[in-house]
Amino acid sequence: MLVQLPGGWNPLLGRLALDQIPYDNPILAPLFVAVVVGTILLFGLITYYRKWGYLWKEWLTTVDHKKLGVMYIIIGLVMLFRGFIDGLMIRTQQVWANGPHSSGVFGALHGYLTPFHFGQVYSAHGLIMILLAATPLLVGFMNIIVPIQIGARDMAYPYLNALGLWITAAAAVLIMISLFVGDFAHNGWFGYAPIFELQYSPGVGVDYWIWTLQLTALGTTLGGINLLVTIIKMRAPGMTWFRLPIFVWTSLSANIIALTSFPALQVALGLVAADRYLGSHFFTAGFGGNLMLYTNLFWIWGHPEVYFVILPAFGMMSEIFPTFSEKPLFGYVTMVAASFAIAGVSWMVWLHHFFTMGAGPQVNSFFSVATMLVGIPTGVKVFNWAFTMYRGRITYSAAMLWAIGALFMLLVGGMTGMMLAIPAINYMVHNSVFVIAHFHSMLLVIVYAIFGSVIFWFPKVFGFRLDEYWAKVMFWLFTAGSALVFVPMYMLGFMGMTRRLDYVFNPAWHPYLEVMEVGIAVYCLSVLAFVVLLYVSIRDRVKNRAGADAWGTARSLEWLAHSPVPFYNFAVTPHVNARDELAWRREHGMDALEPERYVDIHMPSNTGMALYIGALTFVLGFGLTWRIWWLSLLSLAAIILLMIIRSFRGDDGYIITGAELERMEKEALRNRAQADGKYVSGGRGQVAGTAIAYGRNGASMGGDPFNSSRDGI
Amino acid sequence: MSHGHSDPVQHPEVQMSSVRGYLSGFLISVLLMLAATYMSATHAFPPFGLLMVITVCAAIATIAQTYFLLHIDTAEHNIWNTVSLVLFIPLFVLTIGLTWWMFSQLYLHTMPAMTGMH
Amino acid sequence: MSAHGNAVDPKKAVLWDTEYHGHDVISTRSLGFFLYLLSDGMIFATLFAAYGVLSYSHNYFGGPTPSQFVHPWYTFTQTVSLFLSVLAYGMGMAAMKNRNRGGLISGLLGALVLGVVFLALDVHDMAVLAGQGITVATSAGASAFIVLTQVHAAHIFFGLIWILVMIAQVSSRGFTTDTVGRLLSLRMFWHLQAIIWVFVYVFVYLWGYMS
Repeated sequence: MLVQLPGGWNPLLGRLALDQIPYDNPILAPLFVAVVVGTILLFGLITYYRKWGYLWKEWLTTVDHKKLGVMYIIIGLVMLFRGFIDGLMIRTQQVWANGPHSSGVFGALHGYLTPFHFGQVYSAHGLIMILLAATPLLVGFMNIIVPIQIGARDMAYPYLNALGLWITAAAAVLIMISLFVGDFAHNGWFGYAPIFELQYSPGVGVDYWIWTLQLTALGTTLGGINLLVTIIKMRAPGMTWFRLPIFVWTSLSANIIALTSFPALQVALGLVAADRYLGSHFFTAGFGGNLMLYTNLFWIWGHPEVYFVILPAFGMMSEIFPTFSEKPLFGYVTMVAASFAIAGVSWMVWLHHFFTMGAGPQVNSFFSVATMLVGIPTGVKVFNWAFTMYRGRITYSAAMLWAIGALFMLLVGGMTGMMLAIPAINYMVHNSVFVIAHFHSMLLVIVYAIFGSVIFWFPKVFGFRLDEYWAKVMFWLFTAGSALVFVPMYMLGFMGMTRRLDYVFNPAWHPYLEVMEVGIAVYCLSVLAFVVLLYVSIRDRVKNRAGADAWGTARSLEWLAHSPVPFYNFAVTPHVNARDELAWRREHGMDALEPERYVDIHMPSNTGMALYIGALTFVLGFGLTWRIWWLSLLSLAAIILLMIIRSFRGDDGYIITGAELERMEKEALRNRAQADGKYVSGGRGQVAGTAIAYGRNGASMGGDPFNSSRDGI
Repeated sequence: MSHGHSDPVQHPEVQMSSVRGYLSGFLISVLLMLAATYMSATHAFPPFGLLMVITVCAAIATIAQTYFLLHIDTAEHNIWNTVSLVLFIPLFVLTIGLTWWMFSQLYLHTMPAMTGMH
Repeated sequence: MSAHGNAVDPKKAVLWDTEYHGHDVISTRSLGFFLYLLSDGMIFATLFAAYGVLSYSHNYFGGPTPSQFVHPWYTFTQTVSLFLSVLAYGMGMAAMKNRNRGGLISGLLGALVLGVVFLALDVHDMAVLAGQGITVATSAGASAFIVLTQVHAAHIFFGLIWILVMIAQVSSRGFTTDTVGRLLSLRMFWHLQAIIWVFVYVFVYLWGYMS
C-alpha cells in the first residue's frame, strides 16, 4: 500500500540519515551552532537561578487563559522574527542577484541562495507569517482579553486551551527543526500541484510543510471551539449580546470562520499526504488527477483564513480608537453587522485567488462581485472608526498611532484589493509583486493592530505600561520601513516583476530593489527599537505601574479588573449594566466600588497532560515526516492512551475560599492605590494638558479616593 | 443556572431521549435506504430521474435523523446547537456547490470533449 | 444614554453578582462537542467536493468505475448494521434517562457489536477491492472513492474505542457529570456518523453504482 521511495529508508530511522543534516551549508551551520549555544545558555541560566520549578508550575502546566495567551504571543513574536529574517533574506537575494553581471557565492550562480534554498526561504516565510506569527498572536490576544471582557473566570475548556497552545508550539518546533534536519518545502507556502508530489519533490521538505500545517490547523480549531463556547456560554450576568465589546464580536466572527474553514485545509493537505504516502492520485498529473482541485480546496480555507486574521485586528482597532478619542465607538450595531457580513462573504470569494484558472466569465464574475462586496462592510468599519475620532479628544499615544497606522494600511490594501477583484486587472497582475504588495499591506494592518494591542493591553497583563517614547520610535521606524519596502513593490508590480524570483533579470529594477533593501534595514532598526522598548519598560516598571484602568479613558469590562489581572480575573463576577460597562460606571462614579463580600470560587487545576500530548504531536509530526512508522504509531497510540487516562482521572479543580480571596483583593487594592492616575501621554515625561482630562463629569468623582488624583492632571 | 451539583441524569439533554423517537428515526431511514437501494439495484428509472429520487430519499432520511437522533429543534437547551447547524448548512452547500460549478464550467471552457459526466 | 445600549438606571444598578454560579457544565461541554462535530462535517463536505470533481469519467483513467465494483445489497447490510448500532445506542440513552445502568451498558454493548460488524463488512469490502487490483493508486476516481469511505470508517473505528472507554467508565463510576456529559457527546458523535453515512451511501455507493 505504501509508496516506493526514491532514496534510502530503514525501519529504525526511516529516511533520517546523517547526510540529511546540512552541516556543510555556510548559512545554516553557523546558525545551528548559535542555536545550540543559545539553548545551552538558556537552560544553564534557568538551572542557575533555580527557575525550573517556577517554570513548570507557573507556565508549562498552567491552564490560566492569560498565561496561555502570553505564551501564544511569545511564540508569535519569536516566529514573527524568524519570518522577518526570511523576508530579509529574500530581499537581500533579489537586490544582489539582479542582472546577468551580478556575482554569486555559496554555490549560487547569482546572489547567495541557490534556487532550491530560495524556494524554501519564501515558502517558510509565508507559512510562518500567516500561521505561526499572525495566528498565534491573535489567538493569544483573544485568549487573554475575551474572557475578561465578558466577565468570565476562565475559558470554557481551560485544559483544551492549553492543549491548543502546545500543539501550536509543536508546529513551531517542527518548522524550526526543518532548518537543521532535512529541508523545507520549496513549493510556496500554499503549494502547487503537482510540484509537491513525491515524483517532483522527493525530499522531506513537503512532508514538513504538510505536518506543520496540519498541527497548526488542529491547534487553531481547538482554540476556535473554545472561544466560541466561551463567548456563547460564559458571559457574566447582564452581558447581553449587544453589550459585548466589539473585540468579542470580532473574535466570535473570526472563530466561526476558523471552525468552518480549517477542516478544508486539513482535507487539502490530508489528500496531498495521501498522494505522497499512499500513492493515490488526487492531484497528480496523470491517472485522472486534477491539479486545480488542490488549489480550489486550499483556498476554500485560504480566503476565509485571511478574514480570520483580519477580523480580530479590526476588533483591536475598535477598542483602541474609542479609548484614545474619549468617545464611545461610532456605529456599534453596524460594526457588529459588518463583522458578520465580512465573515459570511468570506465564504464566497475564494476563486479570486485563481481567476486565471479559466473557469469562464460566469464563474469569474460571480466571485469578482462577491469579492467587491467585501468592500462594503469594510468601508462601513473605516467610516465608523473615522467618525469615532471625529470631534473626539484624541490622545496620540503610541497605541493610538499604531491603530491609525493600521487604518492607513487598510486603505491602501483595501483599494488595491478592489483593483485585484476585477478579473481583467487580475489577469494582468496575476503572480506579480503587485499582489504581494497588496496582501502585505493587508497583513501589515494586522501587525499594526497587534503592536497597538501589545502596548494597549500590556499593562492589563503585566501591571505596567510600556515606555511611550520608545514605542513611538518603533512605530515611526516601522512605518518608514513599510513605506520603503512596499511602495517600490507596488511600482515593480506594475512594471511586470513576477513574484518569487531567485534571480531578477532586469537591471532597470535595481534602484527599486535597493530602496526596498534600505526599507528592510529600517525594519531591522525597528526590531532593535522593540528590544530597547522592552528593556526600558521593564527597567522603569515601578514608575510606569498602571491602575485598573491603565489609560484613564478605557471603556470595556477588562479595565475593571486589577492590573495585572489576578489568576481568577474578577473576585466576584461583575454584573453588567451597560455597553462600555467601565465607562458607564465611571460616568456614574461607581468605577472604584468594590464588592462587599467574597464567596468561595472554583478554579481548574494545573495539568502537565496538555504539554505531554503537545510534545507527542510533535513526535508524531516528526515521525511521519521522516516515515519512521514505529515512532508515528507509538506516539499516536500514546496520545490516545493519555487522552483516555485523563478522561478517567478527570479534573476536580480546587476551591479558593472567600477569606483567601478577600486577602488577595486587599493586597491588589493597595497596589492599585499606588499606581492609579500616573498615566501621562504625549511623549516622554510630558504632561499632556487637558487632553487626558478625565471624564466629562468630573464632579461625580470628587469623593472617589482612587480617582481624585487624576483630576489634577 | 447551575446544574453542576444537581443530578446529571436530570439534565434536559439526557431527558430528551425517547425510545419512540429513536425507533421512528431508525425505521424511516432504513425504509428510505431500502427503497433507494432497490431502485438503484434494479435501475428503476432513467439515471437523472433515479438521481433525483434517491436524493429525495437521502434528504428525508437526513432530516428525520437530525430531528429524531440529534434532537435539533428550538427547545431552549438545544437552541445553540440548532443555530450553529443552521449556520453551517449554507457553508456545506457553498463548499460543494461552488466547487462543482466552477469545475463544470472549467471543463466546459477548457476541454469540451470531456464534459460528459460519469 | 443610547451610547450604552439600553443601560439600566444607575440608582438601581447591581454591580456584583455574588450568587452567580457560572455555566451549566454539561450543556457547555455538549455545545463545544457539537461545534467540533460540525467542523468534522466540513471535513466530509470538502471530501464530497473533491469526490464530485474527481468522479468524471476521465478521472477513472480507463480503470474500473464504481458501477463495476459497488454491490448495493452488500453495502445495504452495512447500512442496516450501522443504523441498528445507532438505535442500540439510543436505547441505551433512553435507559439512562431512568437511571437504568444495566440498560445503558447493554445498549452500549449492542452499539459496539453492531459497529464492529459494520467495520468488518467495510474491511472485507476493501480487501475484495484490493484483490481485484482496485486501490487508492489505481486512479484518481478510485482514490476519491476509497479515501472518502475510509475516512468515514476511521470515524467508526475511533467511535468504537470511545464506546469501550465509556462502558468501562459507566461500570466503574456510574452517572457522574463527567460520564453523563461524555455519553451525550458520544451520542451526538455516533448519531452523526449515521447521518453522514446516508450521504456516503447514497451519493458515493448508490450513485456511483448507477452511473
